[in-house]
Amino acid sequence: MSEITTLPNWTALGPALALLATALALLAVDMVDPEESSSVLLTGTSVTGGLVALGLALWYLFAGTGQPAAGQEAPQGALDLFGGALVIDAMSLFFTVIVTSVAVLVAFASHEYLRDHSYQAEYYSLVLLAATGMVTVTAANSFVTAFIAIELVSLPSYALVASLKTNEGSSEAGLKYFLVGALSSAVFAYGIALVYVATGSLQFDAVTTAIADGTPFTSLLGVGMVMILGGVAFKIAAVPFHFWAPDAYEGAPAPISAFISSASKAAGFVLGFRVFVDVFGGAMGVFNWVNAFLIISVVTMTVANFSALKQNNVKRILAYSSVAHAGYVLIALAAFTGSVDGEISILGAGMAHLFVYGFMNTGAFLFIALAEHWEVGRTVEDYHGLGEQAPFACAAMTVFLFSLAGLPIGGGFFSKFYLLFATVTGGQGLLGAALVINSVVSLFYYTRIVRALWTEDAAADLELTEYPTGLYIAIAVAALATVLLIPGFGVVIEYAEIAARMIGG
Amino acid sequence: MAVAPGWYLLLSAAVFCIGLFGVLVRRNALIFLMSVELMINAANINLVAFSLVYGNITGQTFVLFLTALAAAEVAVGVGIILVVNRNFDSIDITDAVTMRW
Repeated sequence: MSEITTLPNWTALGPALALLATALALLAVDMVDPEESSSVLLTGTSVTGGLVALGLALWYLFAGTGQPAAGQEAPQGALDLFGGALVIDAMSLFFTVIVTSVAVLVAFASHEYLRDHSYQAEYYSLVLLAATGMVTVTAANSFVTAFIAIELVSLPSYALVASLKTNEGSSEAGLKYFLVGALSSAVFAYGIALVYVATGSLQFDAVTTAIADGTPFTSLLGVGMVMILGGVAFKIAAVPFHFWAPDAYEGAPAPISAFISSASKAAGFVLGFRVFVDVFGGAMGVFNWVNAFLIISVVTMTVANFSALKQNNVKRILAYSSVAHAGYVLIALAAFTGSVDGEISILGAGMAHLFVYGFMNTGAFLFIALAEHWEVGRTVEDYHGLGEQAPFACAAMTVFLFSLAGLPIGGGFFSKFYLLFATVTGGQGLLGAALVINSVVSLFYYTRIVRALWTEDAAADLELTEYPTGLYIAIAVAALATVLLIPGFGVVIEYAEIAARMIGG
Repeated sequence: MAVAPGWYLLLSAAVFCIGLFGVLVRRNALIFLMSVELMINAANINLVAFSLVYGNITGQTFVLFLTALAAAEVAVGVGIILVVNRNFDSIDITDAVTMRW
């Protein structure tokens, strides 16, 4: 930022504050008149709040907030807040853009989905509180703030997954998500405690310094790192901590599945990037996390893709596809070589993939929300012939699915290509091969859904009577973003690179 | 310090393992929740003990947050368990299995 326009530092938290204020405003609106509260007003308020947060994040990102000024090197320029407990840099703003975009799409799409829901204000409020937590995760610069922010993501998510109170699937999904989540946050907390035992500090910079100076408790530090890895792997739904994901996504209301699988995963990844690259970068001798991520990454994409092949429920197929994508993005950590030199760094490629994934995956789950709204059923067979009745939505779904597979119809092609390119130039040909083979496997199940939509004959009684506006708007925006990310990918990768340099040094 | 720090580590590891054992073998969702609480409290023991060892209050401050978060987690968890009980007439976590693979 130039001298003239410098705002006070705390305004860098604007996106999080906007989301929080909207969440509280929604509760206030509902409190005034709980019987008569209009769903248009509630949706409008949440969409507006999300758009304000998104606008602030984009403005800060393009204005150069938290980026090195002219003549400075990469880690400089980040804004430390509250004694270094939070940090606003290019990476936190980049991920804030992802999270708030997904939150806006989900708020739009929930409008019709929630028509008969009796707790609409609470639903939107929880979505925005979870988004606040995600934005805070991106800025967390201490294990204390990281843990609190992760819990602020998790607790509303549990409630949202179980929010269809009379639906067996929803409450079962909520129970499973909650039990696994509570266990993993306890393991995460114990890992943090062990890091504190080893280093005497919880602030990221101080922990980095303590590790560099050497600690007498290296074995405890190693165990702590493994436990923190477990906590992160749960959040991003990587194998072997992925078992909750298919169940939670299948049982949850579809917009919430979209929200958790896109935004919550991005928040988990940002924590993983910051904690492992930035803080534990110097502790490779204690616990070689790069090799651990290498194994997790390959196993995650392979297990997830082959599990998806034998599913018949579309939501479950997409759930496994989202687990597989966690594996693709994990390449960024698995092939990390200790620096972000070169034109295209692996970290930047991973972040760019998360950005594109945010739109295409949200879009795909929102199509399922549309199908649930029409009550056509949940299996691939139930989707037969939808293309004739709803050509626009099905065309958008085709774009999402092929972009997820990595065909050059959406931004997913470029982000996968950059990941592949970075693995090859980084000398990790094996990972690149795993990425290509898995993308080919994934094409089978994506094509299966597309074929069901377009080429099969519909059941005789299939008659769609209603085309919900909010869902259509959300799907159209997501499809437009996915397609526009082909020409616009240069901008995304440019900012992803800046973000990667902020932590990779 | 009257007690060597190593004993605190041992105590907290023992509490953590008891919690983990409970998570793995008990089928009642409420007992599961209690076991998770034990695991979080194991982390608290470490944090408080080493806060004293290092002479800073970072650990103790974090314990306050952890305790509050654990309470919040129980509030959400018991709510979900109630909903499950209404739908399945049971809080046995092996009963709620309509979705598999």
